[in-house]
Amino acid sequence: MAPPAPGGADSELLVALVGNPNAGKTTLFNALTGLRAKTANFPGTTIERRIGHATVGGRHVRVLDLPGLYSLSGRTPEERVARDSLLGRLPGQRRPDLVVLLVDATNLERNLYLASQVLELGIPALVALNMVDLAERSAIDIDSDHLAAELGCPVVPVAARSGRGVPELKRRLELATRQRWRPAPLEAVPAPEECAGCPFKARFDWAESVGMRCTAAGPRSPGARTDRIDRFLTHPQVGVAAFLAVIFVVFALIFWVAEVPMDWIDRGFAGAGAALDLRLPDGHLKSLIVEGIIGGVGGVLVFLPQICILFFFLALLEDTGYLARAAFVMDRLMRRVGLPGKAFVPMLSAHACAVPAIMSTRVIEDRRDRLVTILVLPLFSCSARIPVYAILTALLFPHSPLGAALVFTAAYTLGIAAALGMAAAFKRTILPGEAKPLVLELPSYKLPSLKTALFATWDRARIFVRRAGSIILAVSIVLWALASFPASEPPAEARAMRGRAATLAAAGDGAAAADLVRAAEALSSQHALAASFAGRIGRFIEPALEPLGFDWQIGVGILSSFAAREVIVSTLAVVYGVGESAAEESPGSLFDTLRAATRADGGPVFTTATSASLLIFYVLAMQCLSTQAITRRETGGWRWPLVQLGYMSALAYVAALVTFQVLRATGIG
Amino acid sequence: MSSVTDSGRLLSLDAIEPGHCGIVREVEAGESEVDLLKSLGVCLGRKVMLVQAGDPLVLKVLGSRLGVSARLAARVRVEPCAGDAFGERRLPRGIG
Repeated sequence: MAPPAPGGADSELLVALVGNPNAGKTTLFNALTGLRAKTANFPGTTIERRIGHATVGGRHVRVLDLPGLYSLSGRTPEERVARDSLLGRLPGQRRPDLVVLLVDATNLERNLYLASQVLELGIPALVALNMVDLAERSAIDIDSDHLAAELGCPVVPVAARSGRGVPELKRRLELATRQRWRPAPLEAVPAPEECAGCPFKARFDWAESVGMRCTAAGPRSPGARTDRIDRFLTHPQVGVAAFLAVIFVVFALIFWVAEVPMDWIDRGFAGAGAALDLRLPDGHLKSLIVEGIIGGVGGVLVFLPQICILFFFLALLEDTGYLARAAFVMDRLMRRVGLPGKAFVPMLSAHACAVPAIMSTRVIEDRRDRLVTILVLPLFSCSARIPVYAILTALLFPHSPLGAALVFTAAYTLGIAAALGMAAAFKRTILPGEAKPLVLELPSYKLPSLKTALFATWDRARIFVRRAGSIILAVSIVLWALASFPASEPPAEARAMRGRAATLAAAGDGAAAADLVRAAEALSSQHALAASFAGRIGRFIEPALEPLGFDWQIGVGILSSFAAREVIVSTLAVVYGVGESAAEESPGSLFDTLRAATRADGGPVFTTATSASLLIFYVLAMQCLSTQAITRRETGGWRWPLVQLGYMSALAYVAALVTFQVLRATGIG
Repeated sequence: MSSVTDSGRLLSLDAIEPGHCGIVREVEAGESEVDLLKSLGVCLGRKVMLVQAGDPLVLKVLGSRLGVSARLAARVRVEPCAGDAFGERRLPRGIG
C-alpha cells in the first residue's frame, strides 16, 4: 500500500530495472528494495517478475525487476514481455516513469547494445554503471561523465554487491521524481533502414565507438584469473569430474545440515499434535486438526530445510559464475537425450526434491526443452522416497547392509534411467525437436554474495510454503475425510480389550493395562480405516492392483500417499494394525508386523515379488501433490501436471506389473 | 553441415585454432539462436577469439566468454586477424 503522497493518487513512481543477465541486476534490486519484494508471474505468462518497494526521499517508489536480457528485439518471450512492459502494453501495468539501466562496467560495449535499444524507447533513464570495483581492479577506467554525455542521461557508478554508489543512485532517483526529463535522442546510432540487414552491426559499431571514447586506454587484460580457472572447469573431462565433486559436496551438506532443522520441524508438529490431542475433546474436529491438518501439512513442511539449503547453494554457485560452467560441460552429454546442458542442475536437484528442481528449470530458455525437463524431474528419486525405500528394503533384505545398498542403488538407477528414457521419448513424440544449440555466457568468476543467496532462498521458500502449502492443506483434509468417514464403532474385540485393561489398571498393573489400551487403539484404527471410504475404495480397486501383487490394504496406502508418498509408511502401519505411534517409536515393530501380515490364503502379503513390485511402483509413480502444484504454476495450467500424473502412473503400473509377474513366473516369491 | 566455405580467406569459426582470432564476415541465418549470438556480439565486423575448441566451444567477444555449440559456430565465418599465424588450413571437427 502506498502512503498518500501529494500530487494525486497515482503519484507513486514506477521504476523498471533493465539489464543484461549477469550484470548484477538481482543484487541491485535487493539493495534498493530489501526484503519488501513480491515474486509473481507476468499476467498470462510463466515469466517471473519481481516488484519491490523502495522509499526514496520520503517518497514511495515501486521497483519492477524485468527479466535479464541481451536485447529487446522480441526474439524470446522474455524479450517480448520486457519490451511490452517498458511500453506499458501489458494489462494492469502502466508505462514506467523511469528506467534504471544496469550496465556492467567490465563489459561496457556488450551492455551498451541493450542500453541503446532501451534509450530509444524514449523513457527517462538513469544508468547504473555496475561493478565499477571489478572494473578498477582490471584497470578499466571509465569516464562516467563522458558516458553520461554520450548517452544523454545521468550515469551513476555503483558496486551493488558492496553497496557502494547505491545512496547516490537513490539520490538521483529522488531527483528524477521531481524533474522528469526526456532523454536526448541517440543521434549516433544509425537508424536500421540506413543499414538494411545488419542492425546488429550498426549498434555494435556505435557501442564500440562510445566504449572507446569513454574508456581510458590501458593494459586491458581483464579476466586472466577466470581464464586460468576455466582451463580446468570447462575442460571436457576435468570439468565433468570437478562438477561431480562440487555436486557431491553440496548434496552431502544438504542431507547432513538439513537433518537438524527437519528434526525440529518434525518434533514441532508432533508436539503441537500431542498438545492439541490432550486439550481438544475427542471427536471429528480433533481428528481433523491433529491427523488431517497438522499431520498432512507437517509431512510436507518437513522438507522445507532441504529445499532452502538446496536453493541457497544453487544461488551461491550461480553467483560465483560456476553454474554456467556446469551447464557448459554437461551440454554434450545431455544432448544425447535431446536436452540442453542447463537441464542437468535441475536434474541433480530433483534428487533432493522435485519442487525446487522444477522451479530452477527457468534457466532453460526453450519452452519444449523446459517442459520435457519438468515432466521427467519427478522420476528422480527424491528424499521423500527414502523412508519408503527403507521399509521395502527391510522387507526384501532384512538385516543385510549389502542387500540394502543394492536396493537403494537399483532404485536410484532406475529413476535416472526412466527419466532419461522418458525425456528421449517425449522428444520424439509429444514435444519433438532437437535441443536448442548452446549459447551461454560464461561470466567472470567472482565471490558470491551471501545476501543475494539468502534473499533468493527466502523468496523460493515463501513460494513453496504458500503455493504448495495451500493445495496440500486442501488435499490433506480430503484424504483425512476419506479415511475417517463413515465413522464406525470399535469392534467388539477392542471393547473387550479395553474392559480387561480397566480391570488390570484397577489391580495395579498399569504397564500391562497401557499395552492393552494401545493394542485396542490399533485394532480400532485398523477397523475404522477398513470401514471408511478409503477402505472401500481400496477394496474396489483391489482387482486392478492384484496383478501387481498388492492387496486392498496396500491400495489404501497408495491412495493415502497420493499427496505425499512417504505417507504410505504410516498408512501401512495403521492398516496392518501396528498403530501409527508404535511405528514411529520403533520401526522394527512395523517391519515385523508387515512381514507377518498374511493374505486370505494364509501366505505372507509381503513376498519378495510384492515388495519388489511395490518398490518399483514408488520409484516411478507421481504420488506428490507439491510437485503437481509447482508444475501447474511453472507451466501455467493443469494440462502438463495431468500429463505428468498420467504417464508416471501408467509407467509405474506397467513396471510393477511386469516385475511382479516375471518374479512370480520365475518362482521367486 | 560444418563445411569450410572458402570464399577468399574465410574460415568457419569452429575451424580456427584455439588462441587465434578472426573478424566476423558472414553469419548464416537459419536458427533463432543465431540472433542471440549476434546480440551477444558475434556479428559482422566484430573480432572473435576461439578460447577452447570442441563441442561446445568457448569464444571470447567484446570481453565476455561465450559457450557455443559447434553446430552454431559453423554458421559463422571469420577472416583471420592480421598478425595471427595460420599455418595449413585445418579440416573442421566433426560434430559429436
